Amino acid sequence: MNDRLSFYRKRNSPVHALNPFTKLILVSALIFYGLTAKGFWTATLMVAFVLLPLALASKLLKEYVGVALKVILPTAGFMFVMQSVFIPGGTTEIFRLGFISVELETVQRSYLIASRIFLFISAFVLLLLTTHPSELMSDLTRRGLPPQFAYVIISTLQIIPQMQAKAQTIIAAQRSRGLDTESSFFKRAGLLVPLVGPLVFGSLVEVEERAIAIEARGFTSTRTKTFLHDIPDTPADKFIRWTLTLFIIISLAARLWLS
Amino acid sequence: MQTGFTSQDFIRFLIVMAVMGVLFGWAYATKRMQKDFSSTMTWVLIPVAIAINISIGQLVVVLKLPVYLDSIGTVLVGVLCGPWAGALAGALSNFVAGIIFDPGWWPWIPVAAVIGLTAGFCANMGFFKTWWKVAVTGFLIALAATITGSPIAVLLGGISASGSSIITAFLLQTGKGIFESVLTTNFLVEPIDKISTSLLAFAILDGLSTRYLARFPRGENAQLNQQKRTIELVIALVVVAILVIVTILFVVPLVNQ
Repeated sequence: MNDRLSFYRKRNSPVHALNPFTKLILVSALIFYGLTAKGFWTATLMVAFVLLPLALASKLLKEYVGVALKVILPTAGFMFVMQSVFIPGGTTEIFRLGFISVELETVQRSYLIASRIFLFISAFVLLLLTTHPSELMSDLTRRGLPPQFAYVIISTLQIIPQMQAKAQTIIAAQRSRGLDTESSFFKRAGLLVPLVGPLVFGSLVEVEERAIAIEARGFTSTRTKTFLHDIPDTPADKFIRWTLTLFIIISLAARLWLS
Repeated sequence: MQTGFTSQDFIRFLIVMAVMGVLFGWAYATKRMQKDFSSTMTWVLIPVAIAINISIGQLVVVLKLPVYLDSIGTVLVGVLCGPWAGALAGALSNFVAGIIFDPGWWPWIPVAAVIGLTAGFCANMGFFKTWWKVAVTGFLIALAATITGSPIAVLLGGISASGSSIITAFLLQTGKGIFESVLTTNFLVEPIDKISTSLLAFAILDGLSTRYLARFPRGENAQLNQQKRTIELVIALVVVAILVIVTILFVVPLVNQ
């Protein structure tokens, strides 16, 4: 399977060795705390002093910073600038651009939202960098998630590259017949039919065969299923999970108590 | 200025959750939900539908069309397998997009789920059998997606990296509130996208054999009425035109408030 499709990078690090469920709880706890805590700089500080060290510990600092700069920062930065400039309200004017005025309060509010979005996305990116999606799904299945969900996620990740390859083939084939992706709007809209048709019908036809194949392999069986790979779950994992759960309960209680 | 949740937002959120819970419980108790998932075909169609969503979404970018069309697969599942399967397909579609592109897709999971749910309910009422009915379904999907999506957009600050945010920014400058501006923008953008999505899904179903469709739990939803095609198409266009006019009539007072 190609590497580009998931963020996952294999390393030999303590973070990779954690149970996938522990990492999921860890990331959820970080996000939950970052979104509910009161301080203005909380989200920023958490990225700098929790996520970056975690990335360093998982030997993925370069990859993490790369994704953060290439994917997350443009989105969050664009939102910050747009919201600061265009959302009205606030009283302390910083500067004026023609009829648009930029106020201190709006900038602060935009920064708060942008930094929280940055925290949310980058925490999950860290989870995806250190955990293979199918490993996470099979661990969740072992903990009671219906196995059909794992099937859907894992097989989707396998189908998408095949389908993208098919789409490329179809585009190439239609280009050789004179398809022009640079022509006028109505022509381009008309192009959808010869491109979408073969792609969709081809993959829908496979559905029936696939259904018969997995039924023959006991997909609908109600017996307890066994697992091919054993995913380690150490006492340390359990300890971390309980600590984090406790931490979340305490922080939520403190938040409700103080406000 | 207000940031984060207020207690009013929280109460609204609880009401929405309660409505969803009642709907969910009703569907579960009356075994409507179980019917959606009664066949292996549903579970096999969902991954393919997600792949269709993502591939066509990318194709549209290549063709530089001003729509998303990233929920054709979701609508197909909603029609063929039922509303709850459609909701699951939509939700997992955004989940997978979060895994392979960036987790910024995850806040929009409820919107994708509502699209599949609405498509399924409309199809159950027989609203996926002729061109004009499909256009109405597309409009209802857009309405539901707008209602679900706007609060999420406001929570994320109102202006995102998508192109339609320019409209929102413009409305904000004319002195509208954030929620109003986001809602208006979505009302202007969503119907075009969702009606084309539904019509394309309908064209796909039209090309599939009856024998194939009958294998799905709610294949009868897609047994199309074989009638005079050209007249149907004309009616569909008229309906789209009427819906656009209604939208404008509905949105203009909102803007002029």
